[in-house]
Amino acid sequence: MKLNIEGLLVYFPYDYIYPEQYSYMLELKRTLDAKGHGVLEMPSGTGKTISLLSLIVAYQRVSSAFPLDVTKLIYCSRTVPEIEKVVEELRKLMEFYAKETGERNNFLALALSSRKNLCIHPEVSSLRFGKEVDGKCHSLTASYIRAQRHVNPNQPVCRFYEEFDAVGRQVPLPAGIYNLDDLKDFGRRKGWCPYYLARYAILHANIVVYSYHYLLDPKIADLVSKELAKKSVVVFDEAHNIDNVCIDSMSVNITRRTLDRCQNNVDTLQNTIQKIKETDAAKLREEYRRLVEGLKEANVARETDIYLSNPVLPDEILKEAVPGTIRTAEHFVGFLRRFLEYLKSRLRVHHVVQESAPQFLKDIFDKVCIDRKPLRFCAERLQSLLRTLEIADIADFSAVTLISNFATLVSTYSQGFTIIIEPFEDRTPTIANPVLHFSCMDPSIAIKPVFQRFQSVIITSGTLSPLDIYPRILDFRPVTMASFTMTLNTFNVCLCLVALSSKFETREDFAVIRNYGNLLLEMSAVVPDGIVAFFTSYVYMENIVASWYEQGILENIQRNKLIFIETQDAAETSMALEKYQEACENGRGAILLSVARGKVSEGIDFVHHFGRAVIMFGVPYVYTQSRILKARLEYLRDQFQIRENDFLTFDAMRHAAQCVGRAIRGKTDYGLMIFADKRYARADKRGKLPRWIQEHINDGSLNLTVDETVQLSKHFLRQMAQPFRQEDQLGLSLLTLEQLESEEMLQKITQIAHQT
Amino acid sequence: MLLLYFKISPDGKAKIQLQLVLHTGESTTFHFANESSALKDRDATKELLQQLLPKFKKKANKELEEKNRMLQEDPVLFQLYKDLVVSQVISAEEFWANRLGGINNTDPAVVNNKQEVGISGAFLADIRPQTDGCNGLRYNLTADIIESIFRTYPAVKQKYSENVPHNLTEKEFWTRFFQSHYFHRDRINTGTQDIFSECAKQDEKGLKSLVIQGVKNPLVDLLSLEDKTLDEGYGICTTLPSTSNANKTVKESSNSAIIKRFNHHSAMVLAAGSRKGEAPTDQASETSSTDGNSRDSDFFQPPVKKVKLQEAIEYEDLQRENRPKTVALNLKKSDRYAHGPVPLQSQHYTTSQDIINSVNYIRHEMMNYKPNLTEVLSSTAASSAIAALSPGGVLMQAGAQQAINQMVPTEVQGELKHLYVAAGELLRHFWSCFPVNTPFLEEKVMKMKSNLERFQVTKLCPFQEKIQRQYLSTNLTGHLEEMLQTAYSKFHIWQTRRMMRKT
Repeated sequence: MKLNIEGLLVYFPYDYIYPEQYSYMLELKRTLDAKGHGVLEMPSGTGKTISLLSLIVAYQRVSSAFPLDVTKLIYCSRTVPEIEKVVEELRKLMEFYAKETGERNNFLALALSSRKNLCIHPEVSSLRFGKEVDGKCHSLTASYIRAQRHVNPNQPVCRFYEEFDAVGRQVPLPAGIYNLDDLKDFGRRKGWCPYYLARYAILHANIVVYSYHYLLDPKIADLVSKELAKKSVVVFDEAHNIDNVCIDSMSVNITRRTLDRCQNNVDTLQNTIQKIKETDAAKLREEYRRLVEGLKEANVARETDIYLSNPVLPDEILKEAVPGTIRTAEHFVGFLRRFLEYLKSRLRVHHVVQESAPQFLKDIFDKVCIDRKPLRFCAERLQSLLRTLEIADIADFSAVTLISNFATLVSTYSQGFTIIIEPFEDRTPTIANPVLHFSCMDPSIAIKPVFQRFQSVIITSGTLSPLDIYPRILDFRPVTMASFTMTLNTFNVCLCLVALSSKFETREDFAVIRNYGNLLLEMSAVVPDGIVAFFTSYVYMENIVASWYEQGILENIQRNKLIFIETQDAAETSMALEKYQEACENGRGAILLSVARGKVSEGIDFVHHFGRAVIMFGVPYVYTQSRILKARLEYLRDQFQIRENDFLTFDAMRHAAQCVGRAIRGKTDYGLMIFADKRYARADKRGKLPRWIQEHINDGSLNLTVDETVQLSKHFLRQMAQPFRQEDQLGLSLLTLEQLESEEMLQKITQIAHQT
Repeated sequence: MLLLYFKISPDGKAKIQLQLVLHTGESTTFHFANESSALKDRDATKELLQQLLPKFKKKANKELEEKNRMLQEDPVLFQLYKDLVVSQVISAEEFWANRLGGINNTDPAVVNNKQEVGISGAFLADIRPQTDGCNGLRYNLTADIIESIFRTYPAVKQKYSENVPHNLTEKEFWTRFFQSHYFHRDRINTGTQDIFSECAKQDEKGLKSLVIQGVKNPLVDLLSLEDKTLDEGYGICTTLPSTSNANKTVKESSNSAIIKRFNHHSAMVLAAGSRKGEAPTDQASETSSTDGNSRDSDFFQPPVKKVKLQEAIEYEDLQRENRPKTVALNLKKSDRYAHGPVPLQSQHYTTSQDIINSVNYIRHEMMNYKPNLTEVLSSTAASSAIAALSPGGVLMQAGAQQAINQMVPTEVQGELKHLYVAAGELLRHFWSCFPVNTPFLEEKVMKMKSNLERFQVTKLCPFQEKIQRQYLSTNLTGHLEEMLQTAYSKFHIWQTRRMMRKT
């Protein structure tokens, strides 16, 4: 259908529309009009992605008539399947455009992913891990390797890259929608490297879909996304965890093993320098000359030299020459040695140390006379050295790269970071395993350039409640903040709050574990097909499974359903997941025991019969004893005036909402959501759940016993098993174009968006 | 010739012998006479037989089972078997001769139409041990449970066929099974002396190969979920770094062993349910894994992936429905509907579309219907026609003949039916011999002829006498006799021709 959204003609590739989709587009349009940032929460399964794409594509088409409005959409999602889904939805939209307008528009949209998902080189792509693929690719395509080939034709290079480099850049990628597989197909046909083709093509593409890291991790963003147009709209989908992504990309951990490997790296460097000095001293002199002239020239980074990028954000990189103390190769290696020795001495502590970055810098100056300035150039200088020495396998040098990145980070940022040195793990105080955590506490540091650079940034997800916390922790000022809920004619969600307790103190209690077991057992007899149960942590789940096994509860559950359990091994869990789906599919029914914050809870959907009930055992608080967390909480309190408890509860609730939201992926879907902990009934917890969950909480569903829950579930499931009819939905939760345009409905829709 | 079991003479005996006992009860004794190597030869033979026996046992049993099953499932066949074989009209081999052939030739899917039954997930839980009062445990095993164990754990089955009955008795085998760590899930320290430790290892291997095989559905592949994982050393580790095995407590590792066991058990139960007939050996599953899911299977993966992706972005309620119109179920008492199923008589259903169509059609017809009043019969003529067509009327005389089922008592009917079936079977055998062109067929045709005669004497004649005694119309068996006579005359023609040729 064709919609009129405040004067903008939007093609929407379906015959009907949900009212909340219309409302969502309305808010989105207002955000884009204001050239500001927005926070939009809408439950999954309400067609968030297609609404977003429809509106932004319409916006882009109009602005091609009025140039300089919105030229590009950068869509960031979290997982590879999500990325591919977005591209498929986009393809659907474009097909609809072609059908309606009768013309092929010259839209270019593509997905970008890591080499592992795009490589077509027969040898390289057969490697299993992303890191190996990157390393191998680098050893075939690095700039000096290719330079060597001119001298030595036997030097192996990647023919796909060579072909791309020779021809691919001149011819722009023809307009169309390219998913990862399409890119590979195209690459195979042309004999071009799809990865570099995609990286090159994103510069002129209308829509780019890739993962968060390409924008948020400065090490990658600098290489991949530096030249993207400022007049872009950036969308972060599934953004409820965005603060953690930001923090992760700026944090470093150093263990004794890192230092040992680093020591080897430094020795190798030393030897290589020695060798080169004997054979080709001119090379080193040339490097020295370049460094004197300033970084500018050394900075002409080759696109293939991916490992060699700066860990700090671009605006923090100093635009001046490398200081004299580390300019010659030997001096720099000596400098690294000194720094390494210092770190080793710091790891020899017997008690926990926590200090700020300036304290650390002062200490290092006092002890080994290392200045702040050379430290800041450490990463940059190492890149230059590695390039000069023409080291093929950069992956081997990850340790020394890590250390120099740490040096640059710690000397660049004086605020928002903390250094914690722990001599042993809390659980095993007798075993020495010292770790230096350099952790970022302020997610706004990594995301700041994104907000500053791009015209509009949209943060959206199914669970962003409470909405006002994200602008605070990410430090930006949104022009719109809205939460939408799922309009339904009947409730397809039955929410039960079971009055069981799993407070940290009582959760090992025998009775608590048995009650949990009984709940699961009873539900397994009532609920058809799949049940997913989430625990608060992996260790806790292991213990519970063991005691359920001893008490014979699991055996009784097995009479009703098969049991599959998430493990810490991702491959094993994938297998279990597939078997779980198979068991749901063939009607046997199964239970999946899983962990909140685990991979399953973050990335796997349990649509329809794959998840007819979700049980959340306990409140998934983060492990609060961790010092890093404590430091972060303190920082949040001091800088953003967010109380510890508020943040912890917010964090627990967003994970709980993520878990239970896994089962409801659309209006035709239905499921039970069971929060098995009486703490959920308290106002402070309830208030932090997303609106689409809160709506289902009523007095009848609070503080239930196991028996009441079973009764409620039986009733609900019987009702839900009745056929789902479109006629009942029409006019309420599903609109035709005529219905949408009626005055009364428009009135109603304006009320859907819940402004804060 | 099917071997049931074999015996050997004790080692001390002067004669070195080996006795084979066949299924039919016959036995053959071999005497190894070669002085020098008799013992060695005998042992070698024994070894070979020992290896082959389990295989043949299966085959032999399968055939017997098959026959048994056919008789049980087909009452008509069973009656025929009783009529012909039990009363010794023909021998059992003759009876089965062209039946089993049919089984082996026809599509196995049609023959094995019995639905494969899955395995209960909790079958191990059903073997509740009971204390027998003196520090012992009793496990109750049924054939079903053993079957479940075998189907779920092929490794155990292999052990069973290797060890029972040569090394262990059945009872000993199961005793060891229940004592083994293998049965108890928290198996961490599997002793080497245990015969099941190998099974555990094999399971482990199976699990590993399953894991390595990876998953077909890319949407659940957790390994390739993340696009770009952080390099080692970056990021915040909120969870404690995974500890090495060294400092894992015993309890922790036993816990994770339990979890592993559950995953494996569920996967095996699931696989056993979907496995068709034969249990695939480890090798088979491994080879299928290598050709199915190796890394260069790019060409094979996309279709699955495409379908899954399309499924994931589908919003069926946003699209206009194009399905055929259905009639909604209108429930007066929805509770009754929800509460329990009512046994349903099998009926012929018409689809709702059909109903709608026919209703429309009738409505259409009715709308266009115009009675043509000028060409109507007069009422007297109409009533006389009705009278003539009613039972007893002028036109209904011919159809008044009563059907056989109203004249003859049911038991006679049943007997007659059996006679027909038996006669049909014999005649089928008889006629299948023509044209007689081999000596074998010649012999068979003679035999069949005598079989037919015997049938007439032992079965048909008594029946005829019986119906005569009950004063029923005798032409009940007329057709049967006619059929036999045809066969006889055919036989005579053939015989006279043969005589002429001979002379």
